[in-house]
Amino acid sequence: MQRFLDQLEEVLIASLIAVATVLIFLSVTHRFTIGAAADLVGYARAHEMEGLAAFAKSIFKSINALKMTWAQEACIYLFVWMAKFGAAYGVRTGIHVGVDILAERLTGAKRRAITTIAMTGGVLFTAILTWIGTDFVIHIHSGGQTSSDLEIPMWIVYLAVPLGSALMCFRFLQALHKFLTTGEIAHHDHGAVDGLDDESTDLAKGGHA
Amino acid sequence: MTAIIIFLLLALLLITGMPVSIALGLTVFTFLFSLSDVPLDAIALKLFTGIEKFEIMAILFFILAGNFLTHGGVARRMIRFASSMVGHWYGGLGLAAVLSCALFAAISGSSPATVMAVGSIMLPAMVKQGYPPQFGVGTITSARGLGILIPPSIVMVMYAVATSGMVVTGPNGETVMSASIGDLFIAGVVPGLKLGVTTTYRAWKFDFPRLPRASYADR
Repeated sequence: MQRFLDQLEEVLIASLIAVATVLIFLSVTHRFTIGAAADLVGYARAHEMEGLAAFAKSIFKSINALKMTWAQEACIYLFVWMAKFGAAYGVRTGIHVGVDILAERLTGAKRRAITTIAMTGGVLFTAILTWIGTDFVIHIHSGGQTSSDLEIPMWIVYLAVPLGSALMCFRFLQALHKFLTTGEIAHHDHGAVDGLDDESTDLAKGGHA
Repeated sequence: MTAIIIFLLLALLLITGMPVSIALGLTVFTFLFSLSDVPLDAIALKLFTGIEKFEIMAILFFILAGNFLTHGGVARRMIRFASSMVGHWYGGLGLAAVLSCALFAAISGSSPATVMAVGSIMLPAMVKQGYPPQFGVGTITSARGLGILIPPSIVMVMYAVATSGMVVTGPNGETVMSASIGDLFIAGVVPGLKLGVTTTYRAWKFDFPRLPRASYADR
């Protein structure tokens, strides 16, 4: 169960960002190809090239038949879903930024108490969000609102708020449990850069590689 | 009075070490539940519409590209490039540090990544060559400020997106629209170059050791 959730989180985030990137790429390519085809039609007409004009016009028509206007909206929704689940992933990997100067200075029971308060705050906040989000989704569901371009029911889109918050709440509980049993806190090093090991000795000797 | 209570609560929550977003959220919830009667649905809607903007996607892809570059071994090549270009002048490693900070800042757009990438290599190298450690630290930390000035900078994109749609009144009573990302980038160029040049000057002024001149083939 645990491993399934971890994998679900990672696969979901990665595939959402991949789909969003491909969609936006296709939609931009589509937009520019239409422009180019229209320009070609204009050019061929101005220079009285009948065959080319007809060819360019047929290209323009066939591209224009594909509608990509929904891509931007779809992309935004994918992005919001990714952000909500990414926040939960962030709790697991300790990527969220906090002011930990006091907690780092304290030791023993005091440190334990303050970190427990901090994590309980996270649990509380995300639990409230889950509650509010669920309430909101139920309201929207009974209203039957649909999105403007894709025309999918809005309550499915808004489901990101309660689901993401619930997962985040679970991650906070998990982190709290881990801290209370083992005393470990997940921490992410924001400044780490790969591939720079023993460059400095080399450089000090004047090596230019 | 309300404002004081809210800020005190925020400060209190912040110093416990909880994530900043959670601390802000809990403060807002306290205010909403106890002192106002905003409908709860509005909060949930705001959670969604707050990030439902097309411009914010620029930040996402920008950070992604920066991460690819940062962790793909570009840092090493940039530092070598910088030290082979300016290393033979007085204070060679200092100059090279500033130059590599500028290059790295331009691609990563993030100051912490810049100072860690360049500092972790250049600082030990400078100390080994006999530079005073204070000087090395000073050079690198001041050059790191280039990270948020030289475009593209994450901070600037974030600022422009966060203030989009705002109309405020300027000091002379004129209306000011929200900042455009392009304008902010252009505004960052000159201060960025100025900071680069002045830091370079400080590094060059002292009679610090130089590196051997790199051959043109190396460059």
